[in-house]
Amino acid sequence: MKIRLASPMTRDSIVDGPGLRAVIWTQGCFHNCLGCHNPCTHNPFGGFEMDTADLIAQLDSLHLQQGLTLSGGEPFLQARALAEVARAAHRRGLNVWAFTGFTFEQLTNRKNPSWADRMALLEQIDVLVDGRFERDKRDLSLRFRGSSNQRILDVKKSLAVQSACVIAEYMQQAM
Amino acid sequence: MIETIKKRDGRLAPFNEDRITRAIFLAASAVAEKEGTGADYRIAEGLTSQVVRRLNEKYASVSPSVEDVQDMVVKVLIENGHARTSEAYITYRNERTRVRDSHTRLMKAIEEITFADAKTADVKRENANINGNTAMGTMLEYGSAVSREFCKTHVIHPAHARAHDEGDIHIHDMDFLNMGTLTCCQIDIRKLFKGGFSTGHGFLREPQDVMSYAALAAIAIQSNQNDQHGGQSIPYFDCGIADGVRKTFRKLYVSNLAKALELLRGFDAKPAVKEAEARAEAETGRAIGLTDDAERDEAERNILAASLEAGKAELVKLQAFARREALDETDHRTYQAMEAFIHNLNTMHSRAGAQVPFSSINFGTDVSEEGRMVTRNLLLATEKGLGNGETPIFPILIFKVKEGVNYNPGDPNYDLLQLSCRVTSKRLFPNFSFLDAPFNAQYYKPGDPDTEATYMGCRTRVVGNRCGESTVSGRGNLSFTTINLPRLGIVHGQALGGTTDLGAFFKDLDGKIDLVIDQLLERMEIQGRRRVKNFPFLMGQGVWKGSDGMNDEDELLGVIRQGTLTVGFIGLAECLTALTGKHHGESAESQELGLKIVRHMRERMDQTSEQYDLNFSLIATPAEGLSGRFTRLDAKKFGAIPGITDREYYTNSFHVPVYYKIGVFDKIACEAPYHALTNGGHISYVELDGLGANNPEAFEAIVRAMKEAEIGYGSINHPVDRDPVCGYTGIIPGDVCPCCGRHESDGPVGFERIRRITGYLVGTLDRFNNAKRAEVRDRVKHNQCQTEEEAAEK
Repeated sequence: MKIRLASPMTRDSIVDGPGLRAVIWTQGCFHNCLGCHNPCTHNPFGGFEMDTADLIAQLDSLHLQQGLTLSGGEPFLQARALAEVARAAHRRGLNVWAFTGFTFEQLTNRKNPSWADRMALLEQIDVLVDGRFERDKRDLSLRFRGSSNQRILDVKKSLAVQSACVIAEYMQQAM
Repeated sequence: MIETIKKRDGRLAPFNEDRITRAIFLAASAVAEKEGTGADYRIAEGLTSQVVRRLNEKYASVSPSVEDVQDMVVKVLIENGHARTSEAYITYRNERTRVRDSHTRLMKAIEEITFADAKTADVKRENANINGNTAMGTMLEYGSAVSREFCKTHVIHPAHARAHDEGDIHIHDMDFLNMGTLTCCQIDIRKLFKGGFSTGHGFLREPQDVMSYAALAAIAIQSNQNDQHGGQSIPYFDCGIADGVRKTFRKLYVSNLAKALELLRGFDAKPAVKEAEARAEAETGRAIGLTDDAERDEAERNILAASLEAGKAELVKLQAFARREALDETDHRTYQAMEAFIHNLNTMHSRAGAQVPFSSINFGTDVSEEGRMVTRNLLLATEKGLGNGETPIFPILIFKVKEGVNYNPGDPNYDLLQLSCRVTSKRLFPNFSFLDAPFNAQYYKPGDPDTEATYMGCRTRVVGNRCGESTVSGRGNLSFTTINLPRLGIVHGQALGGTTDLGAFFKDLDGKIDLVIDQLLERMEIQGRRRVKNFPFLMGQGVWKGSDGMNDEDELLGVIRQGTLTVGFIGLAECLTALTGKHHGESAESQELGLKIVRHMRERMDQTSEQYDLNFSLIATPAEGLSGRFTRLDAKKFGAIPGITDREYYTNSFHVPVYYKIGVFDKIACEAPYHALTNGGHISYVELDGLGANNPEAFEAIVRAMKEAEIGYGSINHPVDRDPVCGYTGIIPGDVCPCCGRHESDGPVGFERIRRITGYLVGTLDRFNNAKRAEVRDRVKHNQCQTEEEAAEK
């Protein structure tokens, strides 16, 4: 399956979730949040295409990484391809975080035509940082989040109880 | 007739032939003295008139220069058959030239120190910890400049001085060479405090409280710093201060128990409590401490019950109360003691007030409750920062990682390793040393902290010892000298279009090693001739191993054998690039050659140790002043060679170049094998980008990776910026504070940017020398992600 990325996979990131992490930067996003730091990832035809199999092969060369983070761009616009990558990451002992401009409620809305694809990806994610970046709620002291409206969610638990459950440890201010 | 002579600076001076006579007579006297005869002044006069006559013929219309006159003197001497006198005259003349040149160099240096601002003069930023703009800083630099010049012209063997000046080798701290100071020392505070000590300006009693323990530890560092030119380290700080915690707790426990009894019974119970506590200790053989001890408590209770006719149930309650209160107060006091210790080490001056001491603290393995209290509070006080939340520059904290002690979940001090990871994610300290690395583990004896490998902040390591026990306290480096590896690579490699001749390379390297060994031994001779009285604290107070009981006038040659004589190296990466076209981060073959070179150097050190029965060791040089000097000289000599001399600096020791992109794991794996070879000291850095404070898990992952790779000493660099106006600590990209939005240029107060340089933190880039500034600019982060903001804001 093809996937459109903004840049090659990052390793050793310390700002995209706990521990050292590999990060996949997807290309394409329509949230258009004011103050976005990655505007070059918005164009759905930008970046470059690659095969998910090649991306998965890269996971085999990772060392020291605690997990994989799906970022971008809007990962849920390429949910099917990413679900495959995330499943492969889990098989290799990596946990999976994802950053999305959608809310958990939007992603789990059955009325959305893409619901099935999105659920397929969501089921492969451990922790979801959800919500648009809102510039007036920007707060530098937040852990792994840009604005205070965003939430860090335990996806397994949230899906089980069918309501967003935040992870208190990460929602607390670290500093 | 000659009436004037042209001096070297171009001025005309009256010609005076008496001076020629005197110079000839002095040269003749030198020869005569050797032969046991006398020189004849009249012959000198006769020769002088010949010189004058010949000069008059040759310089009828112009004034001769000093050199012209001297040339004529030599000519006349030889023509008259005074060959030996002419030789002595030439020697005298060369000597005068050398002294004159050194005066010119010296005056130039002093002029620069005096009139240039540290912003523009590199010489004033040779050491990032000295403020070269202050009066005392300037005075220190004068002393340094004079002393260095004196050593070069009058003390050091000319061959060594030449090799240094030409950049084949670098004799570190040359300005202290004539003083015979030793580089650094690992201070055993337990031993020092026992019975009190003298600073040379007054006697201090044995401390009785954790506050005074911490204060005296700072004073010990300060006092010893004044006797040495390198840094000061405390090998097992937690263990040393734990005694103070014990004493404080005991005092507070007795006082709280007595107060509680007084409140209930209405009489002064202090004598009775004191007695009971002491007798309980005598009976059980155990003093009261932070750890619960039911047996001791019961013994104390029985004594109190008898002497005060108190009920046992009531006493149990009172004891528990006293223990609880004492614990709280002791913890609080320990925190304050650590806070004061850190403040002291960042403010108390050494060296005429121009610097604070270079202090390093090793800790983390004392599993007693008292020792743990020290470690925890030392870390918490560091995390809190100085008065306005600034990151403390000193002491350098070094957390000793050890399996079974603090490495794995379930180990008694694992919580302290985790706390260390959290603190280093905010404050860049602690660094981490690894006692399980085989070369450190070989000395480790459980329960004896003196066998735990110790590091100085700059990375120097002194453990192994062929002149006594392999323990750490009271020992240090004597001196070290660095070899310019890139130059050897350029000369014998393909960089300049030739073919690589490894045989010649190793032969040349051996020659340099031989030269440095000679030089280190010569310096040791000077150091050994010094006496106890020259180092009133280090030697006079018995800090140095074996100096106990020596007299003021005793020479030190015997005891300094406990220290290390060390050869260092710089720029392995550039050396390999010159030899093979690639450095060891890029190619497995280069890595193999790199290891071969460093292994060879280490083997030479081991052989030399054997030969002289001294501790020779190999260090991965912590080059600060040196980082640009060799490169400047080599660029001048060979031109700008890509990947070798085209930057302002040579890469530190065996490091992968800072500008080379490499992942965390690969960097650690590439550098780890060199740690085992460099027994005189080593460090590996990982550079991270992005705000570290939010992710202590990442730091723990890196620390664990270092341990598993058998690194000896490692540290994690990441940017820590601070806006002193709004107090924001984090990352300040560009010149706008992300918190308050002010531009750095808006006001007179700039942002603070804490960075690490040769192991020490520096709060401002202003004091970095040019080469180090360039290196910081080029540092590639080993995680190539975007900043925290960028990652989160989408």
